[in-house]
Formats: sequence, structure tokens, C-alpha cells
Amino acid sequence: MPDYLLPRGMTAATASRALAERLPVRAGSARVHARAYYDTFDGLLHTAGLEAVWEDGQLALVESDGDQIRARAALPKPTRPLFTSDLEGGPLCDALKRLIDVRALLPIIEIKCRERPFDVLDREQKTVVRLRLQQPALGRMRLRPRVHVSAVRGYDKALARVSGELGREGFEPAPRPLLEEALLASGGTPGGSPAKIRVRLDRSERADRATAAVLKALLAVIEANLPGTIADLDSEFLHDLRVAVRRTRAVQRELRGVFPPAELERFRADFRRLQQETGDARDLDVYVLEFDGMRALVPEPERPDLEPLLEVLKRRRAAAHRRTARALRAERTAKLLAGWGELLDGLEGVSVEGRPDARTPIGELAGARITKVYRRMVRMGEAIGPDSPSIDYHELRKKGKELRYLLELFGAPLFPEEVVRSMVRVLKGLQDVLGRHQDREIQVTMLRSLGPEVSAASDGPAALMAMGMLVERLEADQQEARGAFASRFEEFASRRQRKLVKDTFP
Amino acid sequence: MSVVLATYNIKGGVGKTSAAVNLAYLAAEEGRSTLLWDLDPQGASTYLFRIRPKVRGGGRKLLRGNSDVAALIKGTDQEGLDLLPADFSYRHMDLALDSFKRPTRRLARVLEPLRGEYDYVFLDCPPSISLVSESVFEAADALLVPIIPATLSSRTFEQLEELLNGGGAAAGPAILAFFSMVDGRKRLHREVMERLRAQWSSVLEAAIPASAEIERMGLRREAVVAYAPAGKAALAYRSLWADVQARLGEYPSPAR
Repeated sequence: MPDYLLPRGMTAATASRALAERLPVRAGSARVHARAYYDTFDGLLHTAGLEAVWEDGQLALVESDGDQIRARAALPKPTRPLFTSDLEGGPLCDALKRLIDVRALLPIIEIKCRERPFDVLDREQKTVVRLRLQQPALGRMRLRPRVHVSAVRGYDKALARVSGELGREGFEPAPRPLLEEALLASGGTPGGSPAKIRVRLDRSERADRATAAVLKALLAVIEANLPGTIADLDSEFLHDLRVAVRRTRAVQRELRGVFPPAELERFRADFRRLQQETGDARDLDVYVLEFDGMRALVPEPERPDLEPLLEVLKRRRAAAHRRTARALRAERTAKLLAGWGELLDGLEGVSVEGRPDARTPIGELAGARITKVYRRMVRMGEAIGPDSPSIDYHELRKKGKELRYLLELFGAPLFPEEVVRSMVRVLKGLQDVLGRHQDREIQVTMLRSLGPEVSAASDGPAALMAMGMLVERLEADQQEARGAFASRFEEFASRRQRKLVKDTFP
Repeated sequence: MSVVLATYNIKGGVGKTSAAVNLAYLAAEEGRSTLLWDLDPQGASTYLFRIRPKVRGGGRKLLRGNSDVAALIKGTDQEGLDLLPADFSYRHMDLALDSFKRPTRRLARVLEPLRGEYDYVFLDCPPSISLVSESVFEAADALLVPIIPATLSSRTFEQLEELLNGGGAAAGPAILAFFSMVDGRKRLHREVMERLRAQWSSVLEAAIPASAEIERMGLRREAVVAYAPAGKAALAYRSLWADVQARLGEYPSPAR
């Protein structure tokens, strides 16, 4: 049920009188509510149709279109990024965990709202519709007053009567809910800054224009996540930034024929550096985030022995983040992003000399690249056996990421959705196994390299023993991943998949 | 999945409806989505919530599974608390149940589509021992059994314990009994309470006093915890709710 805006020029006092005259209401007394709203940077709650609202010492998770409270808990007003691990166990913690996982809730806006409740009653004096006359303000800025309408379940006819009456009195349905209205009025964006991009493309569009459009959207993701990464608000800023950089690099490599070669080389080198400068911090984020899962691999009695390892990881993580933040704040990063943006803006106007694919229709070019990378992966995978070195698995995984990005960035908007979706699903099955294999490889290397530092701790020897067990378990798990590879690859390289690729991306 | 709690006693007039209405109110007040199904054809809890005791299509259609049960639910004045109203046709519920295959599973099946939506479902049951009560035993995770601490009432409780736990049936609902309409000045009340608590671990510590405050619910048409939240009766219901939750163990996971 939408809110209703008061007719222009009508004061709240007049509206109050009108409601009382036109409807059988019981009016409550007016009160000022100060509500602080929270969401993740990428608007996960907004996407789920929910709002996290703090008021009077309580944080509540509320449905945006019906005021139904999903869960709530007593909590002092959050002043730092709020993680689910900061909450006491309970319904709110559980509900949020499912929605935001490792992301932090950040403040998005505070709305002060003078509110007067009106219960619309039936003959039995039972509430059948709830109204709230609201006079919202953002600091000094007043928003247009509105009537918030909440349905009571099972009383649809009463709700329709009330809406009809409000319409006749000149109240108009509000185009958007109060939170969105307030965000727009304050210059914000409802829904935050999602890391997933979806750029509309046309198959016949020239390739350089389409490629620039996709890359500009990725650049926007990088830029949006930069401040949160530097401030280390939560681990996903850096993650989303790195994914956007990796996608950018995949497009640079796979669609290189749309760029002027000399400039492209320079940017590729710079983006590679950016990727490297952020790599350690991300790896250590993952170790810390997944530490409990890793710890669960050793027998119960030895688990506490791993505590010194966690301390070392946290220390290293903090140091790596400081290095990353320094690199991202550096002049060269700002220059790189600005320069890249300029190149993309002007790409269509650059002479086509040396850019053989610039005017090729994007459907043709992207289809050819997808086919090529897919076939390349099939050849690489066929060469892999149980005794192949780890690097072979790793190289295949890297190619797999490229294919995935091509499918998501160009496949999805240009080719039949169900085919692309099914290809991504099969590819994901393969990538999961390859990812597990590679993660274990890196974890083992990391554990071995941390030995000296951990052994320096007072309970170091016990920790080293436990780490030894952990290494064994990780290696065993890596072997299992190798075992699972064959069947996943078989599906990926099956006749059916090959035909699908051939028919879809001619 | 929701936790299903039924206020039940073979005897009438022992405080079932008051307990169902007040505990459901407290659950909703805590932010748990809660449904109260008034199974008693007299419709006392429906009346207390000022809702019309009417179910479109009647009880038989509902039990048969031909009604969209979600569409029959009414919101109460307490946010988060919904009611599935009573209907006069519920007086024939036994007969209706008897005409189905596996009659005792029927109530649970009606609730099935709602179990994802509500954290708690309260069943306010008519006093009897019948197919309806057997269906309730099948659907409920726990029975909340009010006992007046007098000899006859406590005998009924012992019969119920015998019925549900005596046969060695393992999968029945948990029994959570509590004293109701307690007059602390009466020695008999004190003695019966002491004896039963010592004898049965299913008897909870919290006790609901006999009070005019609770009787006024019929006039006010509201839960006593709503109109006299700081009164003795409200405090008694709060500690009963705390006892029940403690016995149920971990909080139920949120429905959605």
C-alpha cells in the first residue's frame, strides 16, 4: 500500500481534522520519532525488500512494503560498521546473517518524523487499518508530509474504503516510500551501490562502443568501492573492487582489438599492478574469514592450539590492509582511473588504425571470443591428469574466470539467457573444484611460510603441531578436489556443451 | 518452522483462553510473528480480539483442505499477532474429522502452509477428550495445561499425563502444566501445588492468580497484558511465558 501525500498547501493540522471527520478513527497523540536507517554498501537489505531501522534503543528489520517486523533486538545506536558478529545470538542476528553474511551495516540516513497515529475502527471498535500522519525532515530540510497506510490482515475492503476516501479528499499516492524519498532528497541512491553490473547491449552495436560501456560500468564499481576499501569498512569492498579490476583485465585481454595497442599495454600493466597491490590483503581477509572452517579440519582437542596462528594472521592482515590503503590512496591510482575513464569516453573517436575489431558488431566479436576461450579450456582440461602439476589446474581456473566474465558481461545481454545461464552453471561446477584445489594449495604454502613467526609465540610448539595436522588435512582435501575434477570437466566438455557453444555463439 | 503450542485441558473454565490470548500477545510483543487459532466453537478468544467468529466455508471445508487458510486469517490490534477465527460449525468438528482418513493428522495439515510464516502458533482448544484433542496432540509441539490447584482438577491432569506419557508413546507433545486461578490464601491450593510440583517435572514454576483483573478481559475485550501491563496478572503471564520459553529450550528460528 503506497503512502499518500497531503494535498499541496494542506497543513498537518488540517489533515488531522480531515481524517477525523471523514473516517471512524481513534487518534493517538503525536510524537517525534528519530529513526536511523542502515544497509550494506551494496544495498542487500533494499534488494530483499527490507529496512534496518534503529529507534529508541532497538534495531528492527522491517518489511519495506507493509511494516511487518521480521526481527528486532535491543542495541545501542551503532556508531561503527555493524557486523552480525557484533550482535547477540537471536532472531535478528540469524535473519541478518542470512541476508548480509560478512557485510557490515552502515548508516544510510536519519529521518526525524513527527507522527500521529490514527487507527481506523470498525463497528466493534477493532482496528482495521492503521494510518500515520507523518511530517518527515532531514535535518533542516522538510519533506512533504504524508499519510502512511498499513493494512491489517484480512480487512482488504476496509483498506480499499480508506484509500478511496483519501483520494476523494485530494491526497495523492506517493511515488515512492519515505526512505527512498529521503535518500533521493539528500543526494543518495536508493539501493546503494551494487557490485553486479548489467549493461544493455545491442548485437549490431560497434564493438568499441559496447566494450567501453561495459568497462565504464566496471570502472564505476572500482571507484565506488575505493573509499570503503581504504577505510576498511568490511572485507567486501576490497573483494568487489578486485573482482571489478579482474573483470576489466579480462576484457582488456580478450577484446584487445578494440583498443589502441600502445595505450592498452600501458593500462594493462597499471591494472596488473593494482591487482597485485591488493592481493595480499584479500588473501589474508579470506584466511581470517574462513579460519573457523579451517580450524574445524583438525580434531577438536587441538583446535584451541591454533589460536596463535589466528593472531599472526590478523596481524598480517592489518599490515597488508595498511599497505593496500597506501597504494590505493597514491596519486598513481587516481591517475590510472582518471586516465582509463578518459580513454573509454573517447574510444569511439580514436582512429581505427591498429584497432581491427573496433567496428566489428559486438555480437560477432563476443561470440567468437566466448567460443575461443571455451575451446581453449577444453584443450587445457583434456591435458590435465591426476598427476599434473598444480599450476596446470590453476591456469585452467584462470581461463575459466575469463570465460565466466565474458559470459556474464557480454553473453547475458547479447545471447539467449537460458543458454548462458546453463553454461555459467556448468562452468561454476568446474570452477568450484578448481577453486578448492587452488585455495588448498595457497593455504598450505601460507601455513608453511608462517611457521617461524608462529613458533615464536609462547604456545608456539603446540600451534606448530596443530598446523602440521592442518596441512595434512588440507593436502588430503586438495587430493579430493583432484578426484572430483574429472567428472566436472567431463560435463563441461561434453558433446552437449560443445554443441550448445557452437550453436549459440556462431 | 513454527512452534505450535496448544492450551488444553479436559475441563472447561480453567483459564485456557486467557492463557492463549495473553501468551500469544506476549510472543508478538517480543517481535515474533504469531498466530492464534481459536478452535473453540464458543469463540471466546475471537470475541476478545473483537473479530467476527466466522470462517468462510465453515470448519469442514477448512479441514478438508479446500479453503485457502491464509485468506481466512485476520490481523488483531496487536501488531504481529494474527487470528484464525472460531466458527460455530467447529461444534461439529469431531464429526467432520471422523469422516476423513487419518483424522488426527488433519489439524496439522491445515497448519502446514502457515508454518513457514509464523514463529509461534497457539491453538486455543475446546475442553474435551475427543478426536479434536487427538488432532491437537498430533499438531502441537507442546500442550500448555492450566490446572486449578484443587483435588479434582489435579486428578484430571494426572489422567492427561497418564494418557499422553503412560502408553510409552514417544512422539507426543511435551506437557507444560501451570497453575491457574490460584488463590494463595487457600491452604488446599498451596498444598496441591506443592504436591504436584514435587511429583511431576512437567509442572512449571509460574502460576496465574485468580483475579478480577483477568476476569475484566471479557469487558475490555483485550489481553490483560495489554490493558494492565504492570498488574499482578500481567506479571504472572510474563513469568509463565518465560518459563515456557525456557522449557522449549532454544528460541525457535525465525520463520523467514
